[in-house]
Amino acid sequence: MRAARTAYPLKWRIMDALEGVAAAIWPARFRRATPYLMLLPAVLLVGLLVLGLIQIADASLRTLDTTTFQFSDDYSIANFRRALTEPLFLVVAQRSLIAALIVTAVTLVFAFPYAYLMVRTRSPRLRKFLLIALFLPFFIGQVVRAYGWLIILGNQGMVNEALGVVGIAPMRLIYNYPAVLFGLVQYMLPFAVLMLAPALTAIPEELEAAAGSLGANWVRTFIHVVLPLARPGFIGAGVVVLTLSLTDFAVPAILGGGSQDFIANAIYDQFFRTSDQGLGATLALMLVALGSILVGLVFALFGAGTLAMGRSRA
Amino acid sequence: MQEAFRTVASREAEGGREIAVAVRNVGMDFDGVHAVKNASFDLPKGRFLTILGPSGSGKTTLLRMIAGFQTPSSGEIFINGEAVSAVPPHKRSIGMVFQRLALFPHMTAAENVAFPLKMRRRDARTIPERVERYLALVRLGGYGGRRIHELSGGQQQRVAIARALVFEPDLLLLDEPLAALDRKLREEMQLEFRRIQRELGVTTINVTHDQREALVVSDDIVVMDQGEIQQKAQPIHTYRQPRNAFVANFIGVTNFIAGTVRAVSEGGDVSILRGDLTLAGKIGDPANPPAEGDKASGAIRAEQIRLASDAAQLSKLDCVLAGTVTDTIFEGERMVYEIACAAIGDEVMRVFDHDPAAHMQFEIGESVFLGWNARDMLVFR
Ligand SMILES: Nc1ncnc2c1ncn2[C@@H]1O[C@H](COP(=O)(O)OP(=O)(O)OP(=O)(O)O)[C@@H](O)[C@H]1O
Ligand SMILES: [Mg+2]
Repeated sequence: MRAARTAYPLKWRIMDALEGVAAAIWPARFRRATPYLMLLPAVLLVGLLVLGLIQIADASLRTLDTTTFQFSDDYSIANFRRALTEPLFLVVAQRSLIAALIVTAVTLVFAFPYAYLMVRTRSPRLRKFLLIALFLPFFIGQVVRAYGWLIILGNQGMVNEALGVVGIAPMRLIYNYPAVLFGLVQYMLPFAVLMLAPALTAIPEELEAAAGSLGANWVRTFIHVVLPLARPGFIGAGVVVLTLSLTDFAVPAILGGGSQDFIANAIYDQFFRTSDQGLGATLALMLVALGSILVGLVFALFGAGTLAMGRSRA
Repeated sequence: MQEAFRTVASREAEGGREIAVAVRNVGMDFDGVHAVKNASFDLPKGRFLTILGPSGSGKTTLLRMIAGFQTPSSGEIFINGEAVSAVPPHKRSIGMVFQRLALFPHMTAAENVAFPLKMRRRDARTIPERVERYLALVRLGGYGGRRIHELSGGQQQRVAIARALVFEPDLLLLDEPLAALDRKLREEMQLEFRRIQRELGVTTINVTHDQREALVVSDDIVVMDQGEIQQKAQPIHTYRQPRNAFVANFIGVTNFIAGTVRAVSEGGDVSILRGDLTLAGKIGDPANPPAEGDKASGAIRAEQIRLASDAAQLSKLDCVLAGTVTDTIFEGERMVYEIACAAIGDEVMRVFDHDPAAHMQFEIGESVFLGWNARDMLVFR
């Protein structure tokens, strides 16, 4: 009896029962439809997104009459003209784009050693520590974290107080561009590490030893072996960080204090402050376009990396 | 201490044959696990040495210490007379073929072979010609443009060998690179190794647990067990004159008969008593001879035993036992008989018959006689 139980565990019996129930509800002759049925939720989600986009596209073509606060009935490209010519929007777009590129580069540089150490360390305790340190920020949340930085870096913050102790006058450490970049890098780091780690795990350690025995010191091993083999991870991490920072809202809002708006903040303003939903929709569409072009450019230049799901071999 | 080692190594270098690798009292502890214990051996230039031993005997650990991936816990390794503990792998002139090859998947075969030349900053103009020459040496001429995953297992093997040889290292290290291949290809590659090694004259250390490979390819064999070197000798001596019961057992098929030493003579003859039976043999290890009254065992190889259905046919042999066939195993080129012998408590002896077709076949249950010469039985403590 005991032997029979281990040879055919309870888990299997439960599965058998579930399969029986499933067969009763969804007979075998419908089987061919099953994969499509499973795709349904994803298709619905994407479909909703497309419907939303169509709605936004429609709104973007209607101009707001500032006297009546009514939207025009006929279509015009006036919103697009405004978005492309008004200096404010160009400044915001430029600021977001440059920030996204800088943040991506800096984050990848910082994330790599972290991911490498986490993957390669022989000490299980160090690995656990690094993993926990990585996930902790996720539990705290973006807004709380940004407020945390206000407390630390603010005019009466800990850093300025410490500087005061050694006799340095308080400095403005927040509400400027570097503060936003700093906050974004800090926010993106875990994402980048999580995208890089699997790519590094996939590189056999023996390859690095082999490079060593073939005459490469660690720098050249890194450049010629680790870096090229980690490329899919860099691309995946890069695309995620790039799009997330380009479209970020909370960090520029809180650490920029209104002076460092990104595109998302400008869109927010149009929707909820000036109530010009047409212009807001236009900006949103342009952000989607910008993001798509950037990602397309990365894919065209470097391939899809880990995001290609292993279909194309490096 | 260091100085003493240095003089040992250089003295031997002066004595005619140049020593490429000298391992001196090398030990390796992994928090409590003694992977290698007090290992010492010399490897003259140009020779092919195989480290042979069962799984977990410390072969890879010893090889990794020579390559510089691990630092010995004790002792010192000398390469060309220089102590190398403080020399990192990329500054040692060592080509290594790894157990799992460790070819670079993002490079072509030719790029893999060119890699060590580039890392050693060789003149870029000479590299392509040299790479092609070494690819030809391993019979892969024209395959340079292939990606690694476009090559068969045996071809990848050969790229790894070319890559390890192309920069003309002082020493070639092979860590069971053939273990994953099928038998036919493995035997082909063994001969290939021997051909290339002789052609280039590169000093080589090969690690394997395949006794056949060790016998076929090596000039010398170091047998290891549980971190200790059991014997270092040429293949034929390792086979014919094993120094202890472990070596006798690990290489070839050997029968052991345990007993008590009855008499030991000056000339190396020894006899052991097992029940009523007295067995004559030779001392296996003159450096560690058994004394009267010691427990000892006599080792006799399966191919050195003759079989007959009639004891008279074996009258020329020194020792004859009666037995019953308990199993017959057909291995193609030979037949293996398992025979239980009453005189030694029904212990099973294994006997080879190398010409199954021409000889009479014995059936399971049949009574047979087996006999051997006293000089073929080695007695170990
Ligand atoms: N890094 C390590 N940490 C702890 N123990 C180790 C380590 N490397 C090897 N060992 C131990 O040392 C002993 C020898 O290992 P080694 O890898 O040298 O064996 P081997 O002879 O190469 O075996 P195989 O034929 O299976 O490859 C084993 O008991 C192994 O468990
Ligand atoms: Mg090994």
